[in-house]
Amino acid sequence: MTVLQVTGLTVEFGQRGGANLRAVDGLTCTLRAGQTLALVGESGSGKSTVVRALAQLQKRTSGQIQLDGQPTPRRGPALRAYRHRVQLIFQDPFASLNPMHTVRHHLARPLLLRAGHLRGPALDAAVHDLLRSVNLTPPEEVAGKHPHELSGGQRQRVAIARALATEPDVLLADEPVSMLDVSIRLEILNLLDRLKRDRNLAMLYVTHDLATARHFSSEIMVMYRGQIVEHGPADEVILRPAHPYTQILASAAPDPAASRQAQATARRQRQAVRAARAAELRETALGEGCRFRSRCPHAMPVCQTGPPDAPAGPGHRALCWLHDPAAGAGAA
Amino acid sequence: MSAPDPGGDLVLRAEHISVEYAGRRPTRAVRDVTIELRRGEVLGIAGESGCGKSTLAYALARMLRPPAYLTGGSITFFPGGGAPPVDVLGLQGEELRQFRWNKIAMVFQSAMNALNPVTSLARQFTDLFAAHRPDLDGAARQRRARDLLDMVGIDPARIGSFPHELSGGMRQRVMIAMALALQPEIIIMDEPTTALDVVVQREILDEIERLREELGFSVIFITHDLSLLLEISDRLAVMYAAEVIEQAPAELVAAMPAHPYTLGLLRSFPDMRSARRALRGIPGTPPDLRSDFPGCPFEPRCEFRFEPCRTAHPALRPPPGRPAADGPATDGTAAAGPQVSDWRVACHQHDPRYRPGGPPAGLNGLPAADVVRTETQVGAESGGGDA
Repeated sequence: MTVLQVTGLTVEFGQRGGANLRAVDGLTCTLRAGQTLALVGESGSGKSTVVRALAQLQKRTSGQIQLDGQPTPRRGPALRAYRHRVQLIFQDPFASLNPMHTVRHHLARPLLLRAGHLRGPALDAAVHDLLRSVNLTPPEEVAGKHPHELSGGQRQRVAIARALATEPDVLLADEPVSMLDVSIRLEILNLLDRLKRDRNLAMLYVTHDLATARHFSSEIMVMYRGQIVEHGPADEVILRPAHPYTQILASAAPDPAASRQAQATARRQRQAVRAARAAELRETALGEGCRFRSRCPHAMPVCQTGPPDAPAGPGHRALCWLHDPAAGAGAA
Repeated sequence: MSAPDPGGDLVLRAEHISVEYAGRRPTRAVRDVTIELRRGEVLGIAGESGCGKSTLAYALARMLRPPAYLTGGSITFFPGGGAPPVDVLGLQGEELRQFRWNKIAMVFQSAMNALNPVTSLARQFTDLFAAHRPDLDGAARQRRARDLLDMVGIDPARIGSFPHELSGGMRQRVMIAMALALQPEIIIMDEPTTALDVVVQREILDEIERLREELGFSVIFITHDLSLLLEISDRLAVMYAAEVIEQAPAELVAAMPAHPYTLGLLRSFPDMRSARRALRGIPGTPPDLRSDFPGCPFEPRCEFRFEPCRTAHPALRPPPGRPAADGPATDGTAAAGPQVSDWRVACHQHDPRYRPGGPPAGLNGLPAADVVRTETQVGAESGGGDA
């Protein structure tokens, strides 16, 4: 079942004395109920702009966003209703909670937006239910605390509870654990995973961590400079990456399992490739061609023209000439 | 890298280091930590934020500033070439100035903040040489600065650039160049790649390894990213709540962690290519370092806790049954070093007084497939993908 359908989403930012910066270029994807779609990419690739555009916090230049088949409203009560159904979790739980307010206040406000009649004990009970749903116990005690009395992981749980208060159908999690300590990241990701299943949420998980992207989502999209360069089932994308950028991302992740010798060999190979292309590493004018070609170990003349969105396996696509069906190559 | 020189291959020994941040209730950020750094090795220090790892680094380099105070311990530096050992804590004034950056340099976490935003790189290198190499004339300083930039993979023509004109990765390379400028014997790297994305992080790590092979300095590498640390370090020290709770050879610890916290940290990083399985972190949060712990500081979060953990403080001791000093080296490890000698763990589960039968499954070093890594999926090796 489709919940959020995104077609050709493009976001441009005006730049002083220059052409517009296209931060998101023609993104098409589907968020389905009870499933997680991961969006991975390096910093500056446009991941957060996608989230902001989907949450309608950022105007899109063109493209369609449909929630349950309905085009999204741009203003008024309908926009508020849309925001109730599409909620956000931000990266930094130290910044996303108001230090002046208690946990109860943070949760009661969105609860009252959805059910304005709640008062007194009924409101308290709803707040406590939310806290219990994110494993913050005892809720009576937690509700009275201020953010500074909570650890980073606890704060992020409050932020998740707040997102759940309006009973959303879609959860957009923008790097929800990258500010947290390593030992508590998995607890938060497991919580999000459980909530997704219990509440049949459609989730977008934005991250730069390929390992958790694979373990916590069914599909992965890889973003590079505004474009989705690869999209497919999570295992396919990580274990058999089709686009050269994804291959480089996957090989850059630390691999503690490899022997010292294997690591040294791999390192020398990487350095040789890098040295050979060092001259071309610097930013080149993008023009029409593949945006990755200046860093790509497989760059060829044809990459001067825009790459095709080519099939790379079942349900798996890559924006790359190496997979161009017309050329019959497919051997990346 | 270094010639095996048993007994004499230490470059730094810090014993019983304690650091406090003054306050109404002082924060005891480092508690009785003893570490040794060998010549040419990478010692990894792992731990979560607030465990005291950066404070320890600053203490080793004598860079603590109030309200942080060293409250105990000794630091001895063993210069190369047979010069007499140096009592680092005894250095004062000019001697201390000569020691810092000449012998121990540091690469700070945030290159953005560590570089001066309003002066060019040329000027910042010049300042450094003016302070520490006053004998060099202007032209020689320029030449040396350009060489250093070239060495870390930055076009020497960028020497006139300002920090904001460089990418995050390039700024971190400049920081490394500055740390290398005086050819120190030890470089302390405090989360040098944490703010960078994976691809750039990989480039920087490769660069550090290459330079270390060329120049032979020793590295103390501090990060919360255990998977990265396992890959690059020779030995590993894991810190929790201001103490070192496990010290082990990096190559072996991933397969057989002795401390429950190390085990938990290892499980907190899902392996990218292994089979899918249920993942969990470590429940709970680290303790407040203003308190004292009569027992084990990890006890409230520990799945292996038993009676003594609440009341008796575990000391760092060799776990029985592990590769021990002068014992048979575990086969299959690099023959190059004496790095199998000094496994240490602070956990009652490894104390024969409490556990005469040895630690329970999970901590006993036997390969437990479920615990650390499951079999790599078939087909993972095709992941590289290029034919």
